[in-house]
Amino acid sequence: MATTNAPDARVGHQVGRSLPRLEAREKVSGRAEYTHLMQLPGMLHAKIFRSTVAHGRIKSVDTSAARQVPGVYAVYASEDVLKVIPDPFYGPAFHDQPILAVGKVHYVGEPVAVVLAADPHIAEQAVQQIVADYEELPAVFDEVEAAENRTLVHEELRPAGTFADLKHLKGRKSTNIALDFRLRRGDVEKAFASAAHVFEHTFRTQKVLHLALEPYASIADFRDDGVTIYSAAQGPSFVRTEIARLLGWPENRVRIKVPYVGGGYGGKLYIKMEALATAMSMLARRPVKVALTMEEQFYTITKHPATLRIKSGLDQEGRIVARKCEVWWNGGAYADIGPRVTQKSGFTASGPYDIDNVSIDSYALYTNLTPAGALRGFGIPQLVWAYESHTDMIARALKRDPLAFRKQNLLRNGRPQATGTILKDAAIEKVLDRVADRLKWNQPFTRGTGVVRRGRGLAVALKAVIAPTTSVAIVNIAGDGSTTLYCGTVDMGQGSDTAMAQIVGEVLNVPAESVRIVPRDTDVTPYDMGTLGSRSLFHMGHAVRLAAEEAGAKVAALRRELSEPEGSNAPLADLFRKKYGMQAGNIVGTGTYKPDYIPPDDSGLTTNATPFWMVAGSGVEVEVDTQTGHVRIARLINVADVGNPINPKIVETQLSGAALMQLGFSMFEKMHIDGGQVTNASLADYKIPGMNDVPLVMENETVDSIQENGPFGAKGVGELATFGVSPAIANAIDDAVGVRLTELPMTPEAVFRALRANANQPLGGE
Amino acid sequence: VTPFDIVEPRSVKEAIALIDPDDADVRAIAGGTALMLLMKAGVFRPRRLISLRKFGDSLSGIATTPSGELRIGAMTSLSAVEHSPHVLRHAPVIGRTMRRLSNVRVRNVATIGGALAHADPHMDLPPVLIALGASVSVAGTSGERTVLVEDLLTGYYETALAKNELITDVRIPAQAASRAVYCKVTTGSADDWPALGVAVALVAEGSTVKSARLVASAATTKAIRLTAAEEALIGSTADDAALKAVAEAAAEEVDILADVRGSASYKRELLRVYVVRAIRAAVQANGVPS
Repeated sequence: MATTNAPDARVGHQVGRSLPRLEAREKVSGRAEYTHLMQLPGMLHAKIFRSTVAHGRIKSVDTSAARQVPGVYAVYASEDVLKVIPDPFYGPAFHDQPILAVGKVHYVGEPVAVVLAADPHIAEQAVQQIVADYEELPAVFDEVEAAENRTLVHEELRPAGTFADLKHLKGRKSTNIALDFRLRRGDVEKAFASAAHVFEHTFRTQKVLHLALEPYASIADFRDDGVTIYSAAQGPSFVRTEIARLLGWPENRVRIKVPYVGGGYGGKLYIKMEALATAMSMLARRPVKVALTMEEQFYTITKHPATLRIKSGLDQEGRIVARKCEVWWNGGAYADIGPRVTQKSGFTASGPYDIDNVSIDSYALYTNLTPAGALRGFGIPQLVWAYESHTDMIARALKRDPLAFRKQNLLRNGRPQATGTILKDAAIEKVLDRVADRLKWNQPFTRGTGVVRRGRGLAVALKAVIAPTTSVAIVNIAGDGSTTLYCGTVDMGQGSDTAMAQIVGEVLNVPAESVRIVPRDTDVTPYDMGTLGSRSLFHMGHAVRLAAEEAGAKVAALRRELSEPEGSNAPLADLFRKKYGMQAGNIVGTGTYKPDYIPPDDSGLTTNATPFWMVAGSGVEVEVDTQTGHVRIARLINVADVGNPINPKIVETQLSGAALMQLGFSMFEKMHIDGGQVTNASLADYKIPGMNDVPLVMENETVDSIQENGPFGAKGVGELATFGVSPAIANAIDDAVGVRLTELPMTPEAVFRALRANANQPLGGE
Repeated sequence: VTPFDIVEPRSVKEAIALIDPDDADVRAIAGGTALMLLMKAGVFRPRRLISLRKFGDSLSGIATTPSGELRIGAMTSLSAVEHSPHVLRHAPVIGRTMRRLSNVRVRNVATIGGALAHADPHMDLPPVLIALGASVSVAGTSGERTVLVEDLLTGYYETALAKNELITDVRIPAQAASRAVYCKVTTGSADDWPALGVAVALVAEGSTVKSARLVASAATTKAIRLTAAEEALIGSTADDAALKAVAEAAAEEVDILADVRGSASYKRELLRVYVVRAIRAAVQANGVPS
């Protein structure tokens, strides 16, 4: 970890500095270590044999030819795993995912057997020699169809017990519904009955994935007295807990080390390759590395496709008096964190509007597809896609200005949100106003009359950060006065190490560059829930602040003990020397932070749903080629409420990065699936945005805001700019050419087909 | 990638001798940017690769012959082609095409001979070279022969080359008053493979089109001449009515494939639109249309 002092290193006022990322030099000079590239002495490489059927009973797995390949160390299937881990099922919400398929396979690409060899190419060659025979079973791929429970993915539900609100699902049979969250506020049916206008629309989102540049990678080194796992993981503490549970060991015999992580976006949360690597190392008695290829990421974890039905009732004045939301989340074959996505995103499914009567039903569904989990937004981008498209469609139908219509209905601080929790420190109106100002919304806009038509659109969104979660941090001052921070937040490129160092520097009045951050290692760094859901700056930021404050208080106590004059600024090294007679000793401060939270009642209502609200909006200008359907994003504006930014430059790059990621999900990214098989599972056929896809003009801004209960007034940013991008583009396309897209991605063909349908000349052939 | 042997012969002759035409597991490799993708995907598992690198210099280079023909050695990298003053003078359309051909990392390694021998219908150079009337020199066990690029490509990843024949150079005839345009139409990210490629090279006097070559690629099994559309175009003044007829002829005459980049019916619409845009741009000779 670099601790180079930048030329502008300074004491005091560390918060608010646009300090360059502390690890940047190591990364750009190629010195940074990643799990994917790590080697251990005697290490074997694992290559995975995967299911070719979406749902089937395993009749046989013939590994004999693979074992004969020269250089192969061993070939293992689930019967081998069961010998060392009798209950080899894992997962954060449900213990449903086997290390290797046991008895049945549930999706194409599911790991069935593993070849181990010192040479990964030999292991890969041997995998080709494995032959499996399946009795194929009916499969279900669509989330709405899955909810009908005619084709079942699992025979029985296995909730993990980690979450109290999932316990009632234990042992439930004949269902694909892994969680049904419901919220009832007021009486929607009564309100619909007396409403002046009622609108109902259905939206869909597609299956996309994280595609971090460092694919999933874990190395396990199992010994009889303990196991050490090196992993590209976003949540080392959870990995430790879950591996300890699988082994029946106390946590102190499981050590998780996380070097630099090459991107995560939610994919590297919970268990990914760690359990498989551990089982293989147990069997082989050698260190084993499981490092996936880019292509294998398509069979690991994805975002949730969703179907969203939303219905609103309005009074004569255009006030939304009722909103009913039904959301079906396509969770794939294993639950991963899907039930949490279903519930937590359910809190805000009705959007950033002040509505008296709200009904929300959110269903987590099992299907025979690659499992789905968290992806930079925890379900919120899917919901915003629906409610901000829907809001615009209503405004247009009523011939209302989309901005004025939103402002009329906006939820404001001091008013209860759908859950009943009072909105606080949420700059929704400010964000919306800034988007509109930048678009010059109230000035005339030329839409054009030729082949290319111009349009503009905006969207604004609200998220309740996930609660309750815990972070612990330790600040350690050495005998020479230098400071080290131990925290479990994983810097996977988002710049958290730099921000945490700035918080330590602010509290202890030292330059942030001088603070060393210990690489993540559960033997050393204390507990953290995980680097997820834009929670780290707030939660870990508080823990780090508390740890630094405690260390600072101990320094002050030491000064008093040593009878330093009031206001003395004698260097710390001198204090230690005075106390211990030489350069010796430590001052250790610890901090633990867990915000208050009240779980929702049976109606989904609570007076404390979240420690902070996340708010963001987007505005776009598009140019639509009416002959081809091509949409050019001429301008993309992202405005967010991040409270008081700790590091404005990093905040800006988080906003632009998130917006570009969502741009890919909005315009072209899609896993094409045929009979459960992904037909474009490679970077040759699944494209993510590159430099040439960056809009000509992109503007990122944070509004003046203070999060009263945040560390130095700050709150999280990582996911924010994903929220508004998709509906803002759809709204702009409608503005330009009068067609409405309700399904992602908005490919040129989708736009073209809509244009032709609108002109009563539908294009045939799918 | 599974283990394989690599052999590095010192000459074209040696290389040809090392390739067994009946053994599909032995192949020549030039830049390797396309072949490696097939190998990583497990679609191609060679037993042995014959690298052309050791004598690549003897097949590299760009020159204009006294007769005005441009010759590009088969092992010349795409980026060398992209930046060659000979190429920019002789056929500026190639320089413009290169800017959006894959990315700079690929262009630095991929070779022009490899790009033709690979015969992936999505590649950008084959339609352009066909429009320019280019041919290739081919070396085999019984000597050299010359093949037009439009005859070289016979189908989806298929060429007229025998397994033990190698392309040694690419020849582009003098273009005189001909003006050429290539339209790369993507439907995914900006650097995606095209859903459709349209190349045109034409000679116009005033607004009357005297001669023209029109080529479609990417949406088709191979880069293919649009001969009916050419007939409709030649002799016309490229006005709206004429171009409509050209677009109709083009849309009628080729088979279009559906894939993740678009349905066949949509790509046919794109073909209609971009044939017209390419011709208009060439007639106006103002470079590349949007």
